[in-house]
Amino acid sequence: MIVPPRKRFGPLLLIAPAAILLGVFLVLPYLNIVVMSFRMPGQGTPYGPGFTLGNYGKFFSDFFYIQQVINTLWIGFLTTFICLVLGYPVAWQLARGASTFRALGYALVLSPLLVGIVIRSYGWTILLGNNGIINRTLTGWGLIDGPLPLMYNALGIIIALVHVFLPFMILPIMSAIQGIDPSLEAAARSLGASKVTSFRRITLPLSLPGIQAGCILVFVLSLSAYVTPSLIGGLRVKTMAVTVVDALIDTFQWPFGSALALMLSVTGAIFVVIFGRLTVMKWKA
Amino acid sequence: MSKPFFTVYCLIIYAFLLAPIAVVVIASFNAGAFLTFPPQGLSFRWYLVFFNNEVFMRAIRTSLWIATLTMVISGIIGTMAAMFYVTHAGKLKETVRVAMLAPLLLPEVLTAISLLFFVYSVGLGTQNLVGMIVGHVLITLPFVFINVSASMESYDPAWSLAAQSLGAGRFTRFRRIMLPLIKPGVIGGCLFAFIISFDVFTISFMLKGVGMSTLPIQLFDYLRTNFTPEAAAVSTCSIVLTMAVVVISEKVLGLRIHRF
Repeated sequence: MIVPPRKRFGPLLLIAPAAILLGVFLVLPYLNIVVMSFRMPGQGTPYGPGFTLGNYGKFFSDFFYIQQVINTLWIGFLTTFICLVLGYPVAWQLARGASTFRALGYALVLSPLLVGIVIRSYGWTILLGNNGIINRTLTGWGLIDGPLPLMYNALGIIIALVHVFLPFMILPIMSAIQGIDPSLEAAARSLGASKVTSFRRITLPLSLPGIQAGCILVFVLSLSAYVTPSLIGGLRVKTMAVTVVDALIDTFQWPFGSALALMLSVTGAIFVVIFGRLTVMKWKA
Repeated sequence: MSKPFFTVYCLIIYAFLLAPIAVVVIASFNAGAFLTFPPQGLSFRWYLVFFNNEVFMRAIRTSLWIATLTMVISGIIGTMAAMFYVTHAGKLKETVRVAMLAPLLLPEVLTAISLLFFVYSVGLGTQNLVGMIVGHVLITLPFVFINVSASMESYDPAWSLAAQSLGAGRFTRFRRIMLPLIKPGVIGGCLFAFIISFDVFTISFMLKGVGMSTLPIQLFDYLRTNFTPEAAAVSTCSIVLTMAVVVISEKVLGLRIHRF
């Protein structure tokens, strides 16, 4: 009897469905966006026949869109920075704090991830709105006369984005700190380093990979966030992701929308690469 | 930083993380017609409005249906891929891992856009659920993969070989040896896929057909024009549902779900 070639090809059948799924529905569609960005705009259809560079020309000739990319990047930077500052101490505590506190803290950091993004953004509209809890409380206490502008602006978007993405900053930093041998810090202390020095010279540099991962994750997530900016920013402040989705869904400008999406992705990627290089240099030095 | 100060700092951050969620839950019991804080008396009024709102109920049914289908498909494909990854990938291990995690690492909005174009280019359109389910499977696949491959870490291929030498066929080996060992990972991964699919917004939003809404989409549409506590009641039910899935899997089934 002929031995079937199962032995060699059998295992490949295990990965085949996943490979086909990712190939057909992830790789091809991503390549398709690039093609789409060079297509002619259509009349009454999402796109027309033929190819053009016009979609990119429209982007570069209209300062409105460039300004919007800059705003989006700026919101991304601030969100990332605030997440880092707020998240690092929490990550440290989760990694090194008392164990009773740790399990609870870990659950508290993870639980927001289980609540849908629409609901979390909605929670912020209840808090930040002109008639929201914060403004009413402050008015009630007589601290302010009129409502503070907390929503429908970049401030509100950043507050909500920080909330949504903070766990993505805390978790990588936490695992980086967990990976540091505590005896290194103890050794530094025994050699006379102060708490601050031991943190600055030992813990912080060794946790840089976690910081890098967290920052990149949060930055990329905030550039591409759609729900939060569109619910909190309303019609007044639009980030690039909101403009892109509007261009695709509301006005059916698929080629131009693709060009916008790609321009945002490319600028975002450039900053990620620069940041990656800088941090690698830092921890080699 | 001194210790008490540090503890207080962390507590403030935890409060910050929970605040918007707690606010939604509290607001849902508001007796008044508008969102006010503190609530004007407690009532289940908005829950009744919600349960009698056919639009939201239909959206919940759609969401549950899609999440179930997604869970089954993603569970099967993800488990198979994890089995390949642990036992057969060899030199390709890192490549397989990165590829399987790719949907998680790529921006969701870009994946959603690319899928929208794609289903139109191949003539699938958004008139049926195919595009949306493909999107949900893509986005949930990494979670099944992570959980199943984590549960297989302690798996020894020798066990399977031993069973084979005793005459067990391919399927019997899977059913009697592999499956009992990886069961916690499979169940955990599937439940997590269910939750993610139930909550995911952007992919559903881009790939939804006319008159076909999942719960997050319906909620989003509602929130653009309405400010009644009904949305809070809807949100609270959704939160309770996902939390119930997690608590049941972790406390009752004793599973450890891996999210990352």
